[in-house]
Amino acid sequence: MKILVCVSKAPDTTTKIAFNADGTALNKDGVQYIMNPYDEWYALVRALELKEAAGGSVTIINVGPKENDTVIRKGLAIGADNAVRINSNGGSAMYIAKQIAEYAKGESFDVVITGKETIDENRSEVGAMLAEFLDMPFISYASKMDVAGNTATIDRDIEGGTETVEVDTPFVLSAAKGLAEQRIPNMRGIMMAKRKPLNVVEAVAFDDLVVPVHYELPPAKSAVKLVDPENMDELVRLLHEEAKAL
Amino acid sequence: MANQYVDMDSLKYLLYDIHGFEDVLNQEHFADYDREAVDMFLTSVKDFSDQKLYPTFQDMDKHAARFEDGKIIVPPVVETVMKEGGELGLISACFSFEDGGLQMPLTAMTAAYYIMDAANNHLPGYLGLTQGAAELIVEFGSEELKAKYTPKMLTGDWAGTMCLTEPQAGSSLSDITTSATPSDDGSYKIKGQKIFISGGDHEYVDNVVHLVLARIDGAPAGTKGISLFVVPKNKIQDDASLTSNDVITAGDFQKMGQKGYCTTHLIFGEQDDCQGWLVGEPNQGLKYMFLMMNGARIAVGRGGAGICTAAYYASLEYAKERPQGRRLSAKGTKDVNQEQTLIINHPDVRRMLLLQKAISEGSLSLVTLTSIYADLYQTVTDPEEKEKYYLLLELLTPICKTYPSEDGMRSINNGLQVLGGYGFCSEYILQQYYRDIRIFSIYEGTTGIQSLDLLGRKVAMKGGKALMLLANEMKETMKDASTYDDLKPYAAKLGAKLQLTQDVLGHLSQFAMKGDYERYIADATIFMEFFSKVVISWLWLQMATHSKHALVTANMDYSEEFYNAKIHTMKFYFKYELSRTSSLAEILKDQDVLTIPNEEEVFA
Repeated sequence: MKILVCVSKAPDTTTKIAFNADGTALNKDGVQYIMNPYDEWYALVRALELKEAAGGSVTIINVGPKENDTVIRKGLAIGADNAVRINSNGGSAMYIAKQIAEYAKGESFDVVITGKETIDENRSEVGAMLAEFLDMPFISYASKMDVAGNTATIDRDIEGGTETVEVDTPFVLSAAKGLAEQRIPNMRGIMMAKRKPLNVVEAVAFDDLVVPVHYELPPAKSAVKLVDPENMDELVRLLHEEAKAL
Repeated sequence: MANQYVDMDSLKYLLYDIHGFEDVLNQEHFADYDREAVDMFLTSVKDFSDQKLYPTFQDMDKHAARFEDGKIIVPPVVETVMKEGGELGLISACFSFEDGGLQMPLTAMTAAYYIMDAANNHLPGYLGLTQGAAELIVEFGSEELKAKYTPKMLTGDWAGTMCLTEPQAGSSLSDITTSATPSDDGSYKIKGQKIFISGGDHEYVDNVVHLVLARIDGAPAGTKGISLFVVPKNKIQDDASLTSNDVITAGDFQKMGQKGYCTTHLIFGEQDDCQGWLVGEPNQGLKYMFLMMNGARIAVGRGGAGICTAAYYASLEYAKERPQGRRLSAKGTKDVNQEQTLIINHPDVRRMLLLQKAISEGSLSLVTLTSIYADLYQTVTDPEEKEKYYLLLELLTPICKTYPSEDGMRSINNGLQVLGGYGFCSEYILQQYYRDIRIFSIYEGTTGIQSLDLLGRKVAMKGGKALMLLANEMKETMKDASTYDDLKPYAAKLGAKLQLTQDVLGHLSQFAMKGDYERYIADATIFMEFFSKVVISWLWLQMATHSKHALVTANMDYSEEFYNAKIHTMKFYFKYELSRTSSLAEILKDQDVLTIPNEEEVFA
């Protein structure tokens, strides 16, 4: 089975997020980046499990500049066989999907997996657009996937429950929590990653249709007020008058 | 439990920006490494610690290792750590490629273990001792011993221990009595008892490979007659199956801290059926052990640094959340109608927190630098450079072992005080850190032993050359710091303390020159305290100078607050800690002799 896993980078979850003065871009000073956890923990690891069970190969792909190589190397350290970086400064979800599709078209992948979303911008768009570009079925929010022959049985998260679907390869899938368990790269894997191929491919021309205009942080949380457990009247008053929760 | 137990930015800042770890990575021996690979490994260890070590930290204290029905029972996380830690490379990575390792620099492994020490100090010893025992076999053992034992130790399938102490012989190893009687097949029959054996037995590995110090029958008395043996808990049969080797676990010492890290009492050869295999040459055992001792002592300092770091973040988090009291107004009064302020806003609490920060990051800086000297000593080829790093390593090792352990305790003591009465209560974590760190000033040679080593041997090494080399390093930093007007006074203060060190040593050496060695070393521990503060002040001045440079040139990898905090903490350390060296020097130069035994009964 030939599998393509799409990976993106995102600010570390412990990073303090700030935007530039006019709110048009992330302030990247001091920001540490990680591989998007949905891509790493679920998409990549499940792809590796399928390869380990049935053979084949796992390729990871990223659309971004050279700085992204660190994140890509981590994917190789976890176990991917090779990697491709589309050399670009990134863009909208459609731009990213277009770049991946252009590469994937000629490669005959059986399964293409993305994380269900990237944890910084929460778009959840690339997978569906990629499927459209590749003219493949798309299964979103997959929390379980088994493959027998050319048919995959997939559980996907739906509101209040789970839907089980069957689909034949090739298809595109977006990975949700539960699809696999995080693998921590060991030192031997990290050393081997340096020797695995990372091919850099130039981006194709594509006019972005969506351009971000403004970013804004949520309002700061107000201070906590401690209320004496004996003073329930005061708690009710605060909930009513200040929190407007009653 | 606090949300944070370590700061990866501070760790990387010390590694790369302050101590130039990339110089180590550029050595031919480490050609397969670069910053990206090391950082990825540290991230892996942090993830592993977040998921497996930190969540079990309190539990290991509550469910201590214990001896039941002839077995040592340890928490199940020990199995996870041996297996997954082995897979991650936490035992094998520093070994050469030929010996089944990945030739990783010690400094990278030190950084990795520091993260684990901070997360859960009860666990790294299980891996670290296995690594140390395998290292002894690889370094000094025959090819047969290496092939038989180390592969399974490096994967964590088997554990390893160091068996030195006996009931009657602790700091004085010359008095050990465990015997080794030669057998016809080339092995030895081992008989004796060993106590305080960390990680000595548990059910989560198939075998425990003990490295045992013993005397071959007829060997000379004292340290010159001690040999080193591989004594497995289970012997390996020809068909690779395991059978008992008459190593009996007699008990587990119940301790005030590190309760999840078993500390066993082992009996070898009670049925006269315990086989051991000589490592290296006869009567060289202690020498072999001590050749590995720098690494072991750096590891103890690292543990102290890790624990006091975690305690600092726990205290800091509490101080940022706990409202109590009000700040004084300009009139010196308090307005009781005002909302209470957070305790972090009280100067005395800030003083305690800053002391914690200064000691924990200062300790980490010292541990990192000492590891880098160890790596450079191992890998540089120029003889002059090799000697330089050897001398610096030898000089700093006793300080590296002692300062984080001793001042780490002080740091946590202050951190516990930040929590007030809650600090004394078992549901708050500070009391556990306070108990856990206590052993570190005892492990691998007590503070007293380290101090004797520093003043009795290291200071005088090669006619004082080690000290001179260190002084030169300090002078370089003072010169760099003096390029910034606001750092000049601190450079001058450090210079004055360096001069004071010379004065103190000049005073003490009079006694050595007269042959009164007991007087020379009587206050060695006070000298250790004195000189440690000078060394840590130097390391803080390095950080402040680099931070100042980053701010002035706007060449910043970290936030402005990060750099400003380093400069502020340096100032704090100079004011509150370096200044204490004056009174310590006064003690060291005092003419009264009050601790050397004489005819007088002073404990009447």
